[in-house]
Amino acid sequence: MKFSLNWLGEFVELPNDTATLAELLTLAGVEIEGIEKRGANFEHVVVAQINASTEHPNADRLSVCQVDDGSGQPRQIVCGAKNYKVGDKVPLALPGAVLPNDFKIKASKLRGVESQGMLCSAKELALAEDSAGLLILSPEAKIGAPIGELFPNDTILDVEITPNRADLLSHYGLAREIAALTQKPLRKLEIAEPATRERAEVQISAPNECPFYSARRIENVTVGSSPAWLRAKLEAVGLRSVNNVVDITNFVMLELGQPLHAFDAAKLTGGINVRLARPNEKFLALDGRTYQLDEKMLLIADAERAVGIGGVMGGDESGVTEATRAIVLESAYFQPSNIRRTARELNLPSDASYRFERGVDPGMILRASARATQLLQEIAGGAPANETVVAGILPAPPTGFSLRYARCSQLLGTAVLPSEADRILEGFGLEKLGGTIEQATWKIPSYRADLRREVDLIEEVVRVFGINRIEGSNRSCFSAVSSADRRYDFESKLRQRLAARGFCEARTSALVGRESLGGGFGEGAVELRNPLSEDHVALRPSLVPGLLGALERNVRAGAKSVRLFEIGRAFFPPDGAEARRVALLLSGQAESQANWRGGRARPLDLFDLKGALEALGLGSLRLERSESPNFALVTNVFSEKRQIGVAGQVSSAHAAPAGATAPVFLAELNLPNDFEITTQTRRFQDLQRFPSITRDIALFAPESITHAAILSSLTSGSEPLLVEVELFDLFSGKGSADSGGDRKSLAYSLTYRDKNRTLTSDEVNAAHDRIRERLRSELGVELRE
Amino acid sequence: MMHPLEELRDAALAEIAGAPNEQALEAARVRYLGKSGSISAWSEQMKTLSKEERPVVGKLLNQSRTAVAAALEQASEKLRAASESGALAEIDISLPGTPNELGALHPLTQMLDRAIGLFRRMGFALAEGPDVEDEWHCFDALNTAPDHPARNEADTFYLPDGRLLRTHTSTVQIRTMESAGPPIRVIAPGAAFRRDEVDATHSAQFHQIEGLYVDEGVSVADLKGTLEYFLRELFGSDTAVRFRPHYFPFTEPSFEIDVKSKALKSGEKWIEVAGCGMVHPAVFEEVNRARHDAAYDPEKWTGFAFGLGMDRLAMILFDIPDIRFFAQNDLRFLRQFAS
Repeated sequence: MKFSLNWLGEFVELPNDTATLAELLTLAGVEIEGIEKRGANFEHVVVAQINASTEHPNADRLSVCQVDDGSGQPRQIVCGAKNYKVGDKVPLALPGAVLPNDFKIKASKLRGVESQGMLCSAKELALAEDSAGLLILSPEAKIGAPIGELFPNDTILDVEITPNRADLLSHYGLAREIAALTQKPLRKLEIAEPATRERAEVQISAPNECPFYSARRIENVTVGSSPAWLRAKLEAVGLRSVNNVVDITNFVMLELGQPLHAFDAAKLTGGINVRLARPNEKFLALDGRTYQLDEKMLLIADAERAVGIGGVMGGDESGVTEATRAIVLESAYFQPSNIRRTARELNLPSDASYRFERGVDPGMILRASARATQLLQEIAGGAPANETVVAGILPAPPTGFSLRYARCSQLLGTAVLPSEADRILEGFGLEKLGGTIEQATWKIPSYRADLRREVDLIEEVVRVFGINRIEGSNRSCFSAVSSADRRYDFESKLRQRLAARGFCEARTSALVGRESLGGGFGEGAVELRNPLSEDHVALRPSLVPGLLGALERNVRAGAKSVRLFEIGRAFFPPDGAEARRVALLLSGQAESQANWRGGRARPLDLFDLKGALEALGLGSLRLERSESPNFALVTNVFSEKRQIGVAGQVSSAHAAPAGATAPVFLAELNLPNDFEITTQTRRFQDLQRFPSITRDIALFAPESITHAAILSSLTSGSEPLLVEVELFDLFSGKGSADSGGDRKSLAYSLTYRDKNRTLTSDEVNAAHDRIRERLRSELGVELRE
Repeated sequence: MMHPLEELRDAALAEIAGAPNEQALEAARVRYLGKSGSISAWSEQMKTLSKEERPVVGKLLNQSRTAVAAALEQASEKLRAASESGALAEIDISLPGTPNELGALHPLTQMLDRAIGLFRRMGFALAEGPDVEDEWHCFDALNTAPDHPARNEADTFYLPDGRLLRTHTSTVQIRTMESAGPPIRVIAPGAAFRRDEVDATHSAQFHQIEGLYVDEGVSVADLKGTLEYFLRELFGSDTAVRFRPHYFPFTEPSFEIDVKSKALKSGEKWIEVAGCGMVHPAVFEEVNRARHDAAYDPEKWTGFAFGLGMDRLAMILFDIPDIRFFAQNDLRFLRQFAS
């Protein structure tokens, strides 16, 4: 909300320096978000009246005005604006005036016609960012008066009021806070509560939604434009002047915090009934739009129809117009949550609903009505009824409760003297009802419904006491490692390992876009009831859509080698059950850049993916061919006996939309979920003392014989001396001369060792020959010498 | 007069010293120490010597052999070293090192790692909770009224079954207290979701670290000390830290924390980095109701809680101008944070 310092200054003496005030409020929890200087205090700029306007003889777009500047001498001004009429009062910059941007005004000739000054727009006086045409002043403005009298210098504070502090949503309220913080006196409001009476003219049919309603009839009102001071006040804080009656209700709201509404009394039929809307009831509001209401929404109605949405917006037909002669002034208390709901459902937030939904001060309702009545008398010549008609019961003031001084000091972690706590609370308008040296009971003022229990008082104390006076302390202590700690450490290890293998970590959104749904990797995603954009409509059932999106972005950016992984939550249909997963994606060249050490550039392939998976350390992994429409080649990944995920080459149906120019490989694995028990630590194994002997086997095999089959043959012969088999060469070229047709050439290195002695050549040779022989006879492969 | 053996020895040493390469050295070795070498020949002659001469010559022979052998060894080592460094002298040491293909951890992960590391130093254990939550854990239990604007469909993502995506990690406060009694000292890193229009500073999903410490006698001073330590470790020891009273339904008193540091781009401007406060007694009371006990008696236990925005901290720390970079996963962005 915007506050005028001039206005605040009417209620309390302010610090001389705005920055000091801003700091004081900010550190007390009333955050100042902006400070803006206002006003048009220029010398030689006065109020002038346009008495005549003729076309410029030499320029279509200019006119020549005769103006009265109050000096008694008529003055001729050439003007380019069109928005005025003869009789309007406007700002006139006389020769010698200096406007913003060092714009010096001189008497001059414009297209051959003399101009003794300039008529000004709001923008030229730095009163607005932008403006079309001249600034038309109030008809009441005094001709010849310095413009600064109409637009005095002011400073506007933009203040963030937290939702619990409804009492600060007015100039009086903020002044009250400043008075408490600076310990300066607050000017008393000289408003007497009006005489009230309950009468049949005002009925409340929905006492829950509207506990209290007041209406005062004011006759003989002359609706017209507002006096300059009133317009200036409203405009200073960003409100537009409408007419004197509406302006007065807005002024009182800004001054005292109580929203008011004025009905045209002639448009009301019979008395007022505050009721809930009927099913499918429609309402044409002040903004010219028709709203469809529901049965929880509150209406202000007369005998025939609704005339306002209670606390939110008045009706179009019952509003105050130039023709209005008598008004009914409403001041009420509406139940905050109902107002909040209505304003939200109708998407119709207003200055009134903003205050009602936070809770207005029950103690101010009738006084605000009286204040507006007084202004209506003064400004609009109104004659108020003697009595204000009321219905319902004002909400009870907050009950008092006690503050234990020791508790206050303990919670704050510093000693606060009881006398200081008392002084602070009294400053906020709380009244000490009695107490001991240990505690005191406090009466809470009607405008502080947010103070409900002891801890709320402690907060008030610390706001003024100053948290800067509390010394930070060290309460570090031992904590047991939790399962979440173990999971975090485990996943950190996976991240480090993948980064060490050249993968970059992605973090994609848990929400996937519409295009990921309906089949593919997003199949079965649990959709949101209220997505905001098509990019975030459902919970990801897999990390893959996000990684494919990242691939697309990187391919578009020209990446030659993409290696990405993500560790995060996936959400499974049908109910969004969560599990943690790791996903890897590879595409493009094995090295992101050619380099002088590198061999031949090699595209990334399935075995790069497999190697990365094996490096995760999730136990011994096994891939089994499987089938999936999402993949051109897919395998189920097993750790020991358990399937933990899939890996493979993505089908072009998924790779092509990502713009991939190379095959795309990806894997997605479930991560362990149970970290209650510390993972088994590794155990030492004795180092081998005796040397090993290595023998190689090179062979040609048909393409159909797999490495696994060869390996199985090599190791299944219960040769106790054979400890390791490693494939060290593979050449698989269809029809190539080297492999001789549909064959591949493989070379294995076999390591023999005994842990208790040095082997002899003869015994190794014997074992090696047996293994070769079995390979030949079992698989029919051709051994190379 | 020199003994002939001595002459032989000196000749050998001179030849060894002058040997230009391994071959010459080997030739010298054969010539003097080989089976039929000239020094070796003297051992054959030993038996022809007189009893008196034998020990003298024997000693001389041994000394000569040892001296020549040592000289050979030394010369050979010198030659090897010279040839080795001679070959290496050709190497262009200005060539680039073998490139590594290290990947990179996401800057948010790095931010989380740093933050978690600091809180672990202070004895906080990790805690966690689900992203898909019910209204009770996200709002009711956190003293947020049924009609609070945060519950709005305009601000919170809902699932068709009425559950929601947590709007803050404060849900983990409740989850933790439901499952364990006091004292509690945890941090909970995790994602949170708000129905915000995406722009340079807002995204539908963001990352927080929630903190909760409940014990006897926990005070605002403890809260202050903890977060001051954290922020000064993070932003530098000369960082100014300011606690500003604020409002959150689930803490009372509540504060927002601003920092100011010359080391940051924001310079002399205060920037908001966290929300925090003392756990509201109503939160303890609601947890007790759910637990069907009085484990969290607000008269006995007090606590503080805080929420740190990881995206925001990372943006401040790494000088990242737009939150959208985090979700784009552009390798050119990610690689900047390889370390």
